[in-house]
Amino acid sequence: MIRLSNIRRSYRSAAGRESVLEGLDFELDEGEYVAIMGASGTGKSTLMNILGTLERPNGGEYIFRDKKVHRMGNGKLTLLRNEEIGFVFQNYQLIPNLSVYQNVLLPLSYKRKWQSKKRARVKRALAMVGLEGKLKAKPHQLSGGQKQRVAIARAIVNEPSLLLADEPTGSLDEKTTESILEIFDELHEHGVTIILITHDPEVAKRAERILHLKGGRIKEQAYETLQSL
Amino acid sequence: MRLFKVFKMALLGIWSNKFRVLLSIFGVVIGVFAVIALSAISLGVKDTVMKQMGGLGAEQIMVMPGRVLKDGGGAHNFLNGVSSLPSTLTNTDAEEIRKLESVESVTPMLETVGRIQYTKENEEPTSVEGMLVGTSGSYQGVFHTTLKEGRFFTEEEEANKDRVVVLGSGIHASLLNQKQELPEIDPAQQAEPEKTWWQKLLDRLTGSSVSAADAPAEEESLVGKEVTIQGETFTVIGVLESEATLGMTSDNSILMPVQNALEVTSTENLTSIYVKADSIENLDQAEKDVHAAVKLNHPETDFSTVKQTEMLDAIDTVTRILQVMLVGITATALVISGAGIMNVMVMSVRERTREIGIRKALGASTIEILFQFLFETILLCLAGGIIGLLLGYGFVTWWNGAITIFPLVLPMWVIQLALGSSILIGIVCGVYPAIKAAILQPSRALRFE
Repeated sequence: MIRLSNIRRSYRSAAGRESVLEGLDFELDEGEYVAIMGASGTGKSTLMNILGTLERPNGGEYIFRDKKVHRMGNGKLTLLRNEEIGFVFQNYQLIPNLSVYQNVLLPLSYKRKWQSKKRARVKRALAMVGLEGKLKAKPHQLSGGQKQRVAIARAIVNEPSLLLADEPTGSLDEKTTESILEIFDELHEHGVTIILITHDPEVAKRAERILHLKGGRIKEQAYETLQSL
Repeated sequence: MRLFKVFKMALLGIWSNKFRVLLSIFGVVIGVFAVIALSAISLGVKDTVMKQMGGLGAEQIMVMPGRVLKDGGGAHNFLNGVSSLPSTLTNTDAEEIRKLESVESVTPMLETVGRIQYTKENEEPTSVEGMLVGTSGSYQGVFHTTLKEGRFFTEEEEANKDRVVVLGSGIHASLLNQKQELPEIDPAQQAEPEKTWWQKLLDRLTGSSVSAADAPAEEESLVGKEVTIQGETFTVIGVLESEATLGMTSDNSILMPVQNALEVTSTENLTSIYVKADSIENLDQAEKDVHAAVKLNHPETDFSTVKQTEMLDAIDTVTRILQVMLVGITATALVISGAGIMNVMVMSVRERTREIGIRKALGASTIEILFQFLFETILLCLAGGIIGLLLGYGFVTWWNGAITIFPLVLPMWVIQLALGSSILIGIVCGVYPAIKAAILQPSRALRFE
């Protein structure tokens, strides 16, 4: 489904050019549930931004379902993002002035093709995360766990083929974390491909495959090794 | 791209920030209000003066004391300079002019301040000061005055020097110790014109009308009664209809045959003479004839003959200057309000950087973000424009109902200009913040603190 080859990304800083990803290679099959781990500053979020087409790599190839993403223009990248990718962020990234319903509706609003039964789709997505009764609530009226559920509902309302989650449980307590991870499990069972970025080994354990990001490259890590961390 | 959806998002964006919206549109409200109010004032002044002067008729020639300098084209131009001299015009000049074939009518005018007194039975006499006007029966046709009651003096009464007067409505009311009734906004518009849809709508909302002049109550009349002017007794034969004018109102006039006025005031000279040519085609010839006729008694040419068109041109030039000045003031007000809106929108883009990042991450294109913010600015300005327009309309309505100096004029093009300029401000001032929002990189926008 996804193939990253020799991906490079660096940023300008006061000290000169700082390289974050140095020739990263990565492959992912359809329906996989992968966790990416790594210490702070190792480029986890940069990798997620590249996978989510939110930023472009300086070099390398990015193939998504046989499409050459690295050669796409901004318009096509926007379309790909809207139709194929769902995002879940650590700090929820809900629009505060919009209601739960309006937040979840957003990806459908930007859909190029005409969509029928939008309201039903939003309700179904919210029902899946257990928030069907909070349609009119504003984000500030929700708990952290509820906000993250709304973010998940928003990520899946377009029925994306890839779900990117960047530290989705980073700000949640243990009990809420468990409930969020259960939703990911369920989505995975429904065939959604998930890439979960986390620094928490317990969260990473829920994935089928764990990748470790170090020195700008990915190293696959065995389950047992991880458990000993 | 679905513009309607983006438009709905812009509406939602505005609705979600009501307080900021109120603050940001304040400048546009004031700017558009200024456009409406100042335009209505300048057009009102122009309209009133032009009607007043234009109402005299294009065939009119005014003989006035002093010299009006001519411009390069040979036409009299008041803006080039007027020499001020005491009038030496006499009724003999008027009689000379009356003999001319190219002249249809002659209206001599003697205007001076006089005191009129009326004694009601068993009451103390009431004395008021007014503009004593000695003229002829043709005055009515020249100045388009209408009678509220009674009649105007006849040629026979003029010839017989009958002691008759026609009173302006203000003088009449003062002598009766009545509060003067509110004048009509425009005598020419007594038959209310068909209102436009927006006037009807606003009338319904405000429960008022632009020409809201209360009908006067039935009062007693001086027609047929005797009054005293400068110690002589006159019979009141008519009362003029009240009129809203700028400067030249007949409300405070005491009209009498010119010979009587000359006698009563013990003067020999007229203030001016209004002459009507027999046809518009013959106007230039008539002016020459009039000039020659008056010059017979004034070899030193201490007078001027000015055609009506020359007076209108001068007035038009002055009002144009006034309008240009007002346009400058209002344009400045609108530019300042536009700068305020742009500032608010730039701040808004900054505040909503993460929102822009989220929208882009979820599939919003650069153009959709651009149009969302552009529509927001345009809608803000339009809302400000509509509020300013309503306030301006309210001001015009209030003025026309309460102020009698001159009526304000609010044509449709001013409304279109006000709304059009507010939309233009929205577009011009919205482009920069919209571009700023649209070109944000989603990953950076999402990280914005």
